[in-house]
Amino acid sequence: MPQPDRRRFLTSAVLGGSAVAGATALGSLAPEAAFAAPPKIKLDPGALDPNFAEGRITGISGSLLRASGSDRTLHRVHVTDGTSIWKLHPTTFDQIKVGDGFYARGVRLPDGSLAADAIWVNIVNLDASIAAIEAARLHLDHNGKRVIGHVVGGRTAAVYGSAPAVADLTRLQVGRHVKVIGAWRPDTNEVDVATVYSGA
Amino acid sequence: MAEWPASVQPLFVGATLLWSGGLKCAGLSAGRAARRSALRSLVGEERAPAVYRLTGAVELLLAAALLAPPVYAGEAVAAAVLATGFLAYLAYARIAAPGSSCGCMSARPTPVTWRGFARAGLILAAALLGTRAGPWWDAAAGHPWAAGTLLVGEAAALVAFSPEADRRWLYPLRRLRVRLRHPLADRSFDMPLESSLQQLHGSTAYRQVGGLLRSGLRESWDEEDVRVLCYTAEYEGRLATAVFAVPLRHYRPEEIRVALVDESAAATLLVLDGA
Repeated sequence: MPQPDRRRFLTSAVLGGSAVAGATALGSLAPEAAFAAPPKIKLDPGALDPNFAEGRITGISGSLLRASGSDRTLHRVHVTDGTSIWKLHPTTFDQIKVGDGFYARGVRLPDGSLAADAIWVNIVNLDASIAAIEAARLHLDHNGKRVIGHVVGGRTAAVYGSAPAVADLTRLQVGRHVKVIGAWRPDTNEVDVATVYSGA
Repeated sequence: MAEWPASVQPLFVGATLLWSGGLKCAGLSAGRAARRSALRSLVGEERAPAVYRLTGAVELLLAAALLAPPVYAGEAVAAAVLATGFLAYLAYARIAAPGSSCGCMSARPTPVTWRGFARAGLILAAALLGTRAGPWWDAAAGHPWAAGTLLVGEAAALVAFSPEADRRWLYPLRRLRVRLRHPLADRSFDMPLESSLQQLHGSTAYRQVGGLLRSGLRESWDEEDVRVLCYTAEYEGRLATAVFAVPLRHYRPEEIRVALVDESAAATLLVLDGA
């Protein structure tokens, strides 16, 4: 289905007035059903989570990512139509490049590869303090190192305290401690800022 | 009679050493600063605080000698040797322990950068100039304005080269500039995606189907006054797309609707209105 038609179809499915069902449509509410289901996670304490992979992408062939983990583990990650891909925005497979870092969650297949449900490309979570504010960028001090945080129009949001996220960044102040979720630009000290959390 | 600029250098070098030596000897967190510094890899973790305090004591003694009469050229030479030692220490820290703090003139963790070298270089230059010094009180009395200006300039340069002092003067200046005109003020006020996600995560609809979701957010687009957010879900053994409709300009999580759609069969499996 072409993309505009597909989006129109999905929109009409959720907004159209068709068959509204209650919560019981999601299956039995009886606890027996839950106890009967096989446990999804069987892990020894201290064992590596088999349904997770992380690393730098060393090669892309078809819909398969080859990667080298931070502990040098080699990973193969399958990306499907149902895989969500985050790279600053929710995005598509063709935006993934060799050299990108990633975290992936999914299901381990018998051949040892991971069928990914979700991939976060180049995502970083920084605790930093704002050293300077310029047009379209924040200078961040992160453990004594300078990190440049680029403000991306239409994307960068700020959360002040526990208030809802807003696009207004004018309450950011030099010297304040912030938490930054963003997308790293590989092999630089620069990130594109998705969300910046500030105390007040 | 020596030149007056040389003669006031012991005053500058002495005051600087008084500051840094005092902090090293009497600072409340001197022990912690020592353990964070490159001394840890140079002399070992146990001996670092002792060596740190010893350095501070030497600095204080030298400061006293420089500031108090009588004047010997040897005092300035000793200060120059000490400054050279600091330069060597900074070079060592930069090469052997890049992650360590300078520990020079404040307990605040400060990585070694070009500013640290510039500061040590300034003290070295002042000490070398000071080897040609006469008594500073004579020079200061002879040229009070010129000597004062030179000392203030040197002190300003010292502060400018000190990352530890940034929070005292540089940050307030930047804060003032940001207050006058915030560089990030002229941005559009579109509803950020993060805000829609927060609203979604607090909604009944999301709670109802949350257990079925397999992926993160796959895509989103805006339709007039709703934002559509798509996830992959697993429903009755088949893969489906969970389509959420979130109010775009209002916080009304109770109005969020969700549909589970089988895209391959173009069939709507379930619609919940969240109420």
